[in-house]
This record gives sequence, C-alpha cells and structure tokens, in this order.
Amino acid sequence: MRALPALLSLAALAALLALPAAVTSPYALHVMILLFLAVIQGESWNVLGGYTGQYSVGHAAWFGLGAYGTLMLMQFEHVAPWWGVWPAVALAVGAALVVGSITFRLRGPYFVLASIAVAEIFRLVALNWKDMTNGAEGILTSDLPPLQVAGHVVTDFATKVPFYYAGLALAVLTIAANWAVQHSKLGYCFQAIREDQDAAHSLGIALTFYKNVALAISAFFTAWAGAFYALYVGFIDPGTVLSTEVSVQFVLISIIGGIGTIGGPVVGALVLVPLSEALRANLLSDAIFKLHLADETSPTGLFLKDNLAHAHALIYGILMVVVILFMPDGVLGFARGLVARRRRAAAAAQAEGSAS
Amino acid sequence: MAVFLQSVVSGVLVGGVYALIGIGLTLIFGVMRVINFAHGELLMVGMYLTYYAFTLLGVDPFVSVLLVAPLMFLFGVLLQRAVIQRVLGALPQNQILLTIGVGLILSNAVMLVFTSDYKILSTSYSSGSVMLGGISVSQPLFFSFLITAAVTAALYAFLIKTDIGQAIRATAQDREAAQLMGVNVGRIGLLAFGLGTALAGTAGALVSPTYYIFPQVGSAFTLKAFVVVVLGGMGSIIGATVGGLVIGTVESLAASYFSSGIKEIFVYLLFLFVLLVKPSGLLGKSRM
Repeated sequence: MRALPALLSLAALAALLALPAAVTSPYALHVMILLFLAVIQGESWNVLGGYTGQYSVGHAAWFGLGAYGTLMLMQFEHVAPWWGVWPAVALAVGAALVVGSITFRLRGPYFVLASIAVAEIFRLVALNWKDMTNGAEGILTSDLPPLQVAGHVVTDFATKVPFYYAGLALAVLTIAANWAVQHSKLGYCFQAIREDQDAAHSLGIALTFYKNVALAISAFFTAWAGAFYALYVGFIDPGTVLSTEVSVQFVLISIIGGIGTIGGPVVGALVLVPLSEALRANLLSDAIFKLHLADETSPTGLFLKDNLAHAHALIYGILMVVVILFMPDGVLGFARGLVARRRRAAAAAQAEGSAS
Repeated sequence: MAVFLQSVVSGVLVGGVYALIGIGLTLIFGVMRVINFAHGELLMVGMYLTYYAFTLLGVDPFVSVLLVAPLMFLFGVLLQRAVIQRVLGALPQNQILLTIGVGLILSNAVMLVFTSDYKILSTSYSSGSVMLGGISVSQPLFFSFLITAAVTAALYAFLIKTDIGQAIRATAQDREAAQLMGVNVGRIGLLAFGLGTALAGTAGALVSPTYYIFPQVGSAFTLKAFVVVVLGGMGSIIGATVGGLVIGTVESLAASYFSSGIKEIFVYLLFLFVLLVKPSGLLGKSRM
C-alpha cells in the first residue's frame, strides 16, 4: 500500500525530468513552470497553515522579500542572482522570525488579521521607499547573466528550460520538506499545536518556538518562490508580489487541494494554474462563443472577450467560497470521503447479501 | 499648533466615517461571531451605487444614503441567507477565508462590469471648505460627519430603546440564553448582517465625494475597519466609535507630520501594538 504512492511519485518525477526533451513548445514549458511555482507556494504555506494550523494570509511578505531582495541586489549592487538570492532568503526568514515572535502570541482570527497587517506594511514600504524599490513602477530585470562555475558556463537563461529544471528542483525540495515534517517529531509537535494549543502547551510543547520553526521553514521556501518568480518573469512591483491577492493565492492552492497533506497543494496547483491559464488564453470566452451563448461580434461578446481574460481573481473568489462551503477538506479530502462512502456502501451491501 | 489642530479636526471628521464602518463590522461580529472580510467590498458596492445614483439619476451623494442603505440592507440579508449562514458553526479560519472569497467575488465582479477605471464623483461642494475659528473644514467631510453622527445616534437609540434592539444585544451577549428567552437568533442574525451591510453601504455613500471610486478600494477599508474594531474591542459599538475617531486622528497626524503615502503604516503598527498589548481592545473582553 505504502509502496504505490512512492513508485508513482518516482515515475512522475522521471517523466517530468524527461519532459523538456520531448516538449519544446515554450508555452507548454511556461505553464509547467507556473505549475511548479504554485506547488512551491502551496507546499510552503502548508508547513505553517496545514501542519501547525496557523492560517497566515500574509505570505506575500516573505514572497515579496525574496523577490525584491534578489532583484534589488542584482540591479543596484550587481550581485548575480544565484548569490543574491541567499541573503534575500535569509532576510525573509529573519524578518519572519521577528514578526512571528510577536504575532504568534495571537490566536485564530487575531493572528490572521495580524498577518495581513504585516504584509500590508511591507507593501506600503515597497510602494513608498522609491529610492530603493522604484515604488509603484517596480523593478524590471535586465538579462540574467549566464551561470558560471569555476569559469565554465553551466547554463544561460536564453530558453525556458533552465527555469523549468530550477522550478522542478524547488518543487521537489518543498514537497520533500513537507514529507520530512510529516514524518518527524517536529511535525508531531506542529500537529499537536494545530489540534489543541492548550493541550500541547500543557504537555510542554513550547508553542511560540515550534510555530516559529514552522514559519521559518515556510518563509524559506516562500522567499525562494518569490526570487524564482522575480527572475523568471523579470518584473516585480508591489501589486504583483506583495498584495493581499498574492497572499490569498498561497492559501487557496492549499485549501483547494486539502490542507495538512503532502498531495493537497499539488492538487490545488493542478486545479488553479490550468484554470487561470485557460482564462488568460480566452478559452472560456471561446467556449461561450462555440456554444452560441453569445455572439462574438456583439457588444456582449466583445465585452466577454476583453474582460474574461482578467477574471482569474473572480474565479479565485468563487473557488474559495465553493470549496469552503462544499468541500472544506479540499478536493483530496472530498475524493477520500467519496471512496470511503463507496466502500462502506459496498460493505453494507455485502453484509446484507450474506444475511439474507 | 495650527497644523496640529487642523490635523486633529480633519482626523476626527474622517474618523466619524471610520467609526461607522467599524460599527457595522462589530455588529456583525457581536451577533454572529463571524469576522466579515468582505466589509470593505460592501462599502465599495455602496460607493458605486452612490456614483451611479449621482451620474444617472442626479441624486446628491448625501441624499442617496436613503437609497443606498435599504438596498444594501437587502443585499446583506441575501448574502447572509445564501452564504454566511452556512459557516456559522465552522472554524473561524474558514469563515475568514469564505468572506475573503466573497470580497474577491464582489470586487472582481464590479471590475468586470464597470472596468477598473478610477471614477470621481464631484459635486458643487466637493472641494469647498468653511473656516471655523481659524481652522478650515472641508464641506463634504463636515456633511458626512453630521450624517454619521445622526446615523450612529439613531442606531444607539434603536439598539437600546426598541425590543428588536434589545434582542440583538441579548444575542450578542449570550446566544444560547437569548434563544432560551424566545429570541429567534436566526432572524436576529439576518437582521444584524443586513444592518452591518447597510452601515457599510452608508459609509460608502458618505466617502464617495472624497475618495477615488474603483473596484479594489474596499480592501484598504476592510483592514481599517478591523483596526478600528480591534482598537475599541471586538463586539463593542461604543468601542468602534472611539476606535474610529482615534484611527482617523492618527492617520491625519501621520499624514501632516510624515507623508500621506505612509500614514497607513502608522495605522497598522498601532493595530499590531494594540493586538499585542491589549488584544481585548480598549472596551472589549479578551478573546485571545
């Protein structure tokens, strides 16, 4: 039973490693890279939100610090990104620990509120500290220098393939981190805090310490995700890396799949990324025209074509409401519930059959 | 000194509206224990209603309160019935995420329909001001403060003097006891959410002559409403009134002495400070 998921994961990994050899379409690679990014985001949020039960809606803060730190070092100090990302990530983890030491004394909704306020402070600083961050204009990267080790060019970033492998590596690392958390004493402490803080505390679990450890792991990968996003997209501004919408995305990926599980954020990413890409590529409006629900040239049709491409945030909101109302344990939890119900029904039918 | 007085006066005037936003939020929280993260978006909807009442029907924004408040009340009741009701017993986190989702739906639906362009509602008195004892008072702010004060007074009278008001307060104080006393807490919940939404809409109408109107304007107000409510104490209406005035003044002082771009940083820092030092707020009970 145990071996099957492991085998499947290995097969999936092998397929993903081989994929760029078979698929050369830049768009397909682009979607895969976005998918990896979403997996990293969801899995890193999951360490704190899923296992420890601390629903941060302020992860944009660590994402933004990773993104801004790396790009600012590159633009203004000419530090190559693969060196610059380390101080940026360290800064994010350090800031997270300071913030965590203060806000982890708060519980439930108060913690959620505090996490949003902290991220807003970071956004406002980035917006107003124009000398360092370019304010609302954001930072546009020039071309990335090729990665050299001991004078040899290992890779340049002319195609999407290096980003593909970097994203895959980061995604695998964050998944591995979740696995390690789930199967360690640390993870048991996290889950004890999630289930009942007071009971955990009375058992001698240092609440703030363990929450901070979870946050540090979470912020570490989140900041990496931010740096990866910044280098891949080549442009950041306070709205795209530090806004509440970004924070919501972290939560959404985990919630949709199912929080507190390793597969949950992967499932969430698999739902969310293709959906928003389909919207962006006008697949939804095309489908509406094909089904003759609206005429392409009518004012309504033109309106749909213009606007549905930007509707991904609307879809996020709808998904959030639907998931919380109808599948609070996420798609994975929902599917497990279905399987369990099937089995019980089958067992009941069998019992009935043998009784009669 | 003149700058100081001037800032305090305009801070108090703006703070009145913040108080109104906070009262709506605290009423919803008090009665239903639901933290409504779509509160600012409800305010935004009120702003759009006011804007279109003004441009299409020529209704003055301050008069349109009479139109906006009942419409928003109905909208709130519908929202409560359709969505919020279903998560009343759920984890607070899930309630928060649900209402964030509702907020996203509202702001993005408005963006889809009315585009993300900034709209400005300019009346004949939009930039007018009167001098009171050497201090210049902006006319729209002054009117909105008067209406806020009237609405707040009416709400107090309603909550204290009427039977329904008493039932609302009883439900907020102890849901089960109220139910045992024959209060229909389900209906009170509908009423409270409707009232809270109407107050958010009213606040939206009142700020529409002084703020840019755009689909994403709500989130800033949501967070501000929380600061107001946490400062005063979750569930306390008097607390929200005090909190609103304090936040308005802090913001106004920060804008005069530092810069208006970072005035909100001061508000959030104050928020974090209050959460840590006295999470129960100035007038509320601890809910750590």
